[in-house]
Amino acid sequence: MKLRPLNVRTRLTLWYLAVLAAALLIYGASTSLFLVFQLRSQLDHRAIEDLETIKGLLSFTSDGRLLFHSNYQDQSYPTKMLDPLIEILAADGTLLYRNELLGNRSLGGSLQPGDMSGSYTMRSIRLSDGMLVRLVSRQYILEGRPRLIRLGLSEESLWQRFREVLVGLLLGLPLVLVFAGLGGYFLARHALSPIERMARRVHEINAERLNARLYVENPHDELGFLGSAFNETLARLERSFEQLRRFTADASHELRTPLTAIRSVGEVGLQKSGAAQDYREVISSMLEESARLTRLVDSLLTIARADSGQIQLEKTTAPLVPLVRDVTSLLDVLAEEKSQKVSVAGDDTIQVQGDGTILRQVLTNLLDNAIKYSYSGSHISLRVSRSGDGAVVVEVEDDGPGIPPEHRDKVFDRFYRIDKGRSRDMGGAGLGLAIAKWGAEAHGGHLRLFCPNGTGCTFRLVLPQLPATDAQLSSATITPASESADQPSTSLANLNVSPPIT
Amino acid sequence: MRILLVEDERKVAKALQEGLEAESYSIAVVHTGDEGFLRVTSEPFDLAVLDVMLPGRSGIEMLSAMRSQGIKIPVLLLTAKDTLADRVLGLDAGADDYLVKPFAFPELSARIRALLRRGRPESVSTLEVDDLRMDVVSHTITRGDRILELTAKEFELLEYLLRHQGHVVSREMLAKDVWKVAVRHTPLDNVIDVHIGRLRRKVDNGLSNKLIHTVRGVGFVLKAGASQ
Repeated sequence: MKLRPLNVRTRLTLWYLAVLAAALLIYGASTSLFLVFQLRSQLDHRAIEDLETIKGLLSFTSDGRLLFHSNYQDQSYPTKMLDPLIEILAADGTLLYRNELLGNRSLGGSLQPGDMSGSYTMRSIRLSDGMLVRLVSRQYILEGRPRLIRLGLSEESLWQRFREVLVGLLLGLPLVLVFAGLGGYFLARHALSPIERMARRVHEINAERLNARLYVENPHDELGFLGSAFNETLARLERSFEQLRRFTADASHELRTPLTAIRSVGEVGLQKSGAAQDYREVISSMLEESARLTRLVDSLLTIARADSGQIQLEKTTAPLVPLVRDVTSLLDVLAEEKSQKVSVAGDDTIQVQGDGTILRQVLTNLLDNAIKYSYSGSHISLRVSRSGDGAVVVEVEDDGPGIPPEHRDKVFDRFYRIDKGRSRDMGGAGLGLAIAKWGAEAHGGHLRLFCPNGTGCTFRLVLPQLPATDAQLSSATITPASESADQPSTSLANLNVSPPIT
Repeated sequence: MRILLVEDERKVAKALQEGLEAESYSIAVVHTGDEGFLRVTSEPFDLAVLDVMLPGRSGIEMLSAMRSQGIKIPVLLLTAKDTLADRVLGLDAGADDYLVKPFAFPELSARIRALLRRGRPESVSTLEVDDLRMDVVSHTITRGDRILELTAKEFELLEYLLRHQGHVVSREMLAKDVWKVAVRHTPLDNVIDVHIGRLRRKVDNGLSNKLIHTVRGVGFVLKAGASQ
């Protein structure tokens, strides 16, 4: 059977328990060992004291026999004292004495190296009957002869204490873990509950209710950070949705205008029974409107593609001034019709890296805009220069009527026209500057409007500096189109989120 | 000249049929790809016009099937999709040309003429209509006895109109073929209008038999006699 993946709360609790159990085990083990160590050192201490006492109780008869005052319990030694096992050996290992408690068991066997060194030696041994004993021995000079006194104290009670403590700890462990587990589970639930609240709130948010936000208690803790990040995403989404909604509404409105014209012209034309010439008039009028509709749909498609990032820039490196002259010569006839003069100034060696088609469209829209809104007989100048930081700047300056301050921020908005009625006759749908701005931003640059003294305007297009290596190459260098695949996707969605024109 | 037209939108099909019949082509209209494939494999045609989005077998599928049967007649695709990928798909399947909806009828007609003419290049050195005469080699243009002074753009424009004389030329066609601009935009339409206006002044001013005519809502036509 396959286990279901556990939820975060359970996993947290299990991890917590595992770590806690490991910690408790280590703690218990080290405590028990410390206890053993402690008890044994007490035992050693006691054994040494006993050893010294016993030594004092020894005496030798004149013929050299050992005399042991075994009633030392009557002396100042209390009964709490464990009965020691005693063995006394001569320097050559001959057994001189074993006390009654020891009986015929050997205490430590034959002489060990170091036994006769004159200092205390301690070791744990097991007697022949299995009894665990702590053995302390020392060589003393008694009546002029070296004697080894061995004293053993039972370790049974020590290990007994150790077992008791260990059992106590082991019995307590599951209990502790159960409580800790419950506590951990509730703690995890408590810690995770803001996330659950967030999730519930997020569930309520959809395209229609994008204005809802998560409640962030403390923006500086981890969850607050998550909440703030989510709120920012929501805000961005809301803005995009709002743009999209506005764009759709504007677009339908724009489409409706030529459709209305087609419909009413057709309906009226059908009602009158006129000459063929009249019908031609009606049909022509309808065709004109459908041409306008076609142009509009084309523009909308361009914008939709740019919005969805489908337009990939095919970048080449080329001098900019010839491109500006190209555009100028294309539109020159329009200026001539209004007796306007268009001049181009700039250094022919200045190069830009960009998509020729899009840059051409940007420049065309800017110049067309200038020609359209400037007085007859006025002067339009295009200047190409390099700014201090190496960026390429194209300025399109006219001495037209200028743009009233209240419109300046909005001229780049889609479908925005300063004078609605007038502009539509001129054939624009109010998309030219929006597309130009997108084109500039798609190249990593920007397009801004400056109206210094209220008369005449300057549109300043700034394109970023060439990468150093490209700038050194010849003017005909063409970077392969595939490189443009690395470019950030170009999206018109940036249009209205960018900082307002200053 | 027999043309097979496969178009499921009946209104469009009917309009195209009438328009092309008026240009003295013989037109067979079908509305599905399967039907189209049946006809094209059983009858001789000089050209096929295929809509890409058809019910059942799509225009592209029908085209591939045709080509794999060894039918080599020129094929013009009509489609509402105009991304580069769509174009490549169509041309890879063996289409000879590609027209994006909504298109101007004059453009369809011009493309069909061009496809049918393919392989028989025109090698005329003079183009003329009525008393307007253009020497393509020496770049001289005369109207009657008068020599016309044209700018380079006006010359190109007039040459294009002369090559399509008697047929309406749309602004889209001029933008694409004379101005070589792939992306059409409003400023360019105004530019075209200004150039046509200037050309008209030079060609027709002061004369009773006008040659350059505007067809409102469609485009321009160069022909002798009244425009209507």
